[in-house]
Amino acid sequence: MPIVVNLDVVMAKRKMSSGELAEKIDITQSNLSILKTGKAKAIRFSTLEAICKTLDCQPGDILEYRPDDGE
Amino acid sequence: MWNGEKSIILTKLCIVIFMGLLLAVVVSAPWLTDWFTDVSQAGQGENRAYFMATIYVGFVPAAYLLYSLFKLLRRIETGQVFTAENVELLRRISWTCFAGAAVALISLFYYTPWAFVAIAAAFMGLIVRVVKNVVAQAVELKNEADYIV
Repeated sequence: MPIVVNLDVVMAKRKMSSGELAEKIDITQSNLSILKTGKAKAIRFSTLEAICKTLDCQPGDILEYRPDDGE
Repeated sequence: MWNGEKSIILTKLCIVIFMGLLLAVVVSAPWLTDWFTDVSQAGQGENRAYFMATIYVGFVPAAYLLYSLFKLLRRIETGQVFTAENVELLRRISWTCFAGAAVALISLFYYTPWAFVAIAAAFMGLIVRVVKNVVAQAVELKNEADYIV
């Protein structure tokens, strides 16, 4: 999928662990893992809002559009 | 208090009763066909062997259907409802109904009332097939939902 999730990069910059972020944005660690590994098919605005608020960033910092090689 | 768990237990009990009835029919097939051909007013005495063949051949899809139903219920009992395995089980159940209908259809050549059994079995197979299609869609939706964070 051409949408890349850079959540781990932003988390590393903020020095925040997965467990801490999952607790602050009120989602399970397994769901956060789905998001971090790029397996997620969609993200709720409420989740995105909570992530941006907690990590003090913009949606564009977390999500990036990278066209496939064939396109 | 009635709940989903008790409902599943009741359904399992019904399947076990049907399994028992099916076994009883197969074991007593020679006597059953004797009795039927004796009491039948259509003079079916000469078709005794055909009746027994229909019962024995029909036993195979019927037993497989009951086994698949039991397996499906056990999966539902453990919370595995919208899964690809259940779709496959429903597909097999549907085809087993059609197989039963085919056996009854072939048996029409010696006893026309088998047509009722054939139509009923084919109709059941059709209903199960529609349910299978619905569950297949539900599995896809569930898989999507599982990856929405």
